[in-house]
Amino acid sequence: MVKNKSWFTLVSLILILSTVLAGCGGKGNGEAGAGNGNGNAGKSSETKELTFMYRGGTDEQKAYTEVVKKFEADHPGVKVKMVVTAADQYATKLKAAITGNKVPDVFYFESGDLKAYVNSGILMNLTPYLNNNDDIHLDNIWKYGVDLYRYDGDVAGQGDIYGMPKDVGPFALGYNKTMFEKEGIPLPDNDVPMTWDEFIEVNKKLTKDTNGDGKIDQYGTGFNVNWVLQSLVWSNGADWIDETKTKVTIDDPKFAEALQFFADMQNVHKITPSAEDAQTLDTYQRWMKGELAFFPVGPWDMSTYEGLPFEYDLMPYPAGSTGQSATWIGSLGIGVSEKTKYPEEAVALVNYLTASKEGMEMLVNAKVQIPNLIDMAEEWAADTSTKPANKQEFLDIVGEYGRVLPGHYTYNAEWYNLFFTDIQPVLDGKITAAEYVKQEQPKMQKLLDKAIEQEQKSKKK
Amino acid sequence: MKTKSNLYRKEKIYGLLYVTPPVLGFLLFTLFPVAYSFYGSFTDWDGLGQMDFIGLSNFKDLFTDELFLKASFNTIFMMIGIPIGIVLALLIALGLNRGIPGTTTFRVIYYVPVISSLAAISIMWSWAFNGDYGLVNQFLELFGIKGPNWLMNKHTVKPALIMMTVWKGLGYTMLLYLAALQSVPRSYYEAAELDGANGFAAFRHITWPMVKPVTFFIVVTNIIGGSQIFTEINIMTSTGGPEYSSASVVFYIWQKAFNNLQMGYASSMAVVLGIFIFMVTLIQFKMNEKSSLDI
Repeated sequence: MVKNKSWFTLVSLILILSTVLAGCGGKGNGEAGAGNGNGNAGKSSETKELTFMYRGGTDEQKAYTEVVKKFEADHPGVKVKMVVTAADQYATKLKAAITGNKVPDVFYFESGDLKAYVNSGILMNLTPYLNNNDDIHLDNIWKYGVDLYRYDGDVAGQGDIYGMPKDVGPFALGYNKTMFEKEGIPLPDNDVPMTWDEFIEVNKKLTKDTNGDGKIDQYGTGFNVNWVLQSLVWSNGADWIDETKTKVTIDDPKFAEALQFFADMQNVHKITPSAEDAQTLDTYQRWMKGELAFFPVGPWDMSTYEGLPFEYDLMPYPAGSTGQSATWIGSLGIGVSEKTKYPEEAVALVNYLTASKEGMEMLVNAKVQIPNLIDMAEEWAADTSTKPANKQEFLDIVGEYGRVLPGHYTYNAEWYNLFFTDIQPVLDGKITAAEYVKQEQPKMQKLLDKAIEQEQKSKKK
Repeated sequence: MKTKSNLYRKEKIYGLLYVTPPVLGFLLFTLFPVAYSFYGSFTDWDGLGQMDFIGLSNFKDLFTDELFLKASFNTIFMMIGIPIGIVLALLIALGLNRGIPGTTTFRVIYYVPVISSLAAISIMWSWAFNGDYGLVNQFLELFGIKGPNWLMNKHTVKPALIMMTVWKGLGYTMLLYLAALQSVPRSYYEAAELDGANGFAAFRHITWPMVKPVTFFIVVTNIIGGSQIFTEINIMTSTGGPEYSSASVVFYIWQKAFNNLQMGYASSMAVVLGIFIFMVTLIQFKMNEKSSLDI
């Protein structure tokens, strides 16, 4: 009996202990698993450990792990724990970490979330650390990129710096050079944009049935409305939102004209795969197989496009009534948590990833981005022996005419996203662009008003 | 007497010790978040900063929110898959219950989707539904039908998702039915046969009533699961489908909470969804009680 009882006690204790320990252990393992396996740092009391949360594909992960390893080697006593997620889970995971009061020391964030994060005391003001810092030369970094992360408590784009651009992503237009040469069509000009009419004409020449089976298997374009409409709208002199960032302006006739032009490429001119075939995946694959003449190219595509079975190069987007080419520049910021224990080291890491010669060279060589440093970028673009030859186009976009996506200016981008949620009937040619912008404007305005109201509240806190 | 109460006390302590971890877990990971989000639903919380109490304002907005109503409709619409799944699973279970050689193999085949990762399955099906190269359309082509681009067309995206969820749930439902069928005493069928009942009559008057508790269980759990559909939608139609035609309530909650900084509003939707599930389940239990008396 006594024996039995003690056995029972023992088992109970083991069970309970193991449950409790498993709880803790699981968490510890999870975090260790997410970090890098670079555990050769010295005594724990001397090691300053930073958490770095980021996202990216396999090429980027590899490149960033290398850079961070180099950072650790250059900064003895600092250890970086890297936490990486898939792109679509990043926002969820970061916001969960914020809600749980476990903000990583250094992390990526969307420029559109800047105001919310600053107002809620999540992002640290980097200005004091950047000024008089011998390692950092802000005037050698794209002004566009740095300004994206400035905020004076009222308007974004000016004031103190709360993040550094991980990179700037000019969304350029590419074309299949091999296809042009095969069809005997003169190559597009690097500096003078085509007019919309000229663009349609070239596309019509390039859209054809190449194997004679009665089905078209080579198209001019296959644009995704989410990413290319901006270029058409802006170059036609319209925009989603007005100067004051309080009014939705899609009901402008110039806007409707640009949207109609986009829809007509498919329905009237038939130079793109049909509406239902226009899934990004499909047109992307068609481009990769050499079945599309024009397709957007971001710097992040360069490593993949290296292996294309044809030659490609960059050109300006065709221009609407303003006569000017237009496109957007993407960017992700790298910021530091307001609550970090090691602000000096965290800023050093941010700098290493965004503004140091050492870090930039490694990332650029991995072909995951264009250089943040202007002098390095110019040298990089001057080398026309690597693909694409006209890399200068990327720099022109960043330095001269690229813009930020409209959602950046507002507290959240819900109003802007709604525009694309409802757009399918226009692309299918079921309703006209003019009708669509009229019916959609009030809905978007309502969401924008709500976002403005939210922003006012968050400022008071 | 004294020793007995001692033993009783000891056992009580052990009992409590055993019960503590799951109860703690429940309090920490279920009750607390539920209570927190219930409170959150009355605030304008953005998920980052401080929470201000705004009363029922979120709930008022909800019922005029076009996208919420659309997402609710989609969620309920996609539950069409539940009766379809039940009928198919029961038919398969009846077939597999006949003792034909090879049934074990078939049971395994039907059960494989159940144990596979939902994310992997979603990716696989989004390939299958691809308009150009997808397996589904290649199959339809054999019959000379040109299939649509399933996930990019607002009329076909819901049926496509229903097809997938039915396929995914089939094995689980079938297994439950199989177990239920095997517990029906043979003697009932023998008696029915003597009375001259044909196969269909035997099914109607013996099999169906005998597996009723299982049907009830499946309906209740499927409705709860169906109300919370998210992963498939998030992976297969990451923007909520053309014109939001495949967005579910949980998908909309997730978008509001994590992409649009409206955690308070998202919480109010979660509360409404919770109440909906509770009510539907309650009604089903009541109905089940009533109809049990008839048998």
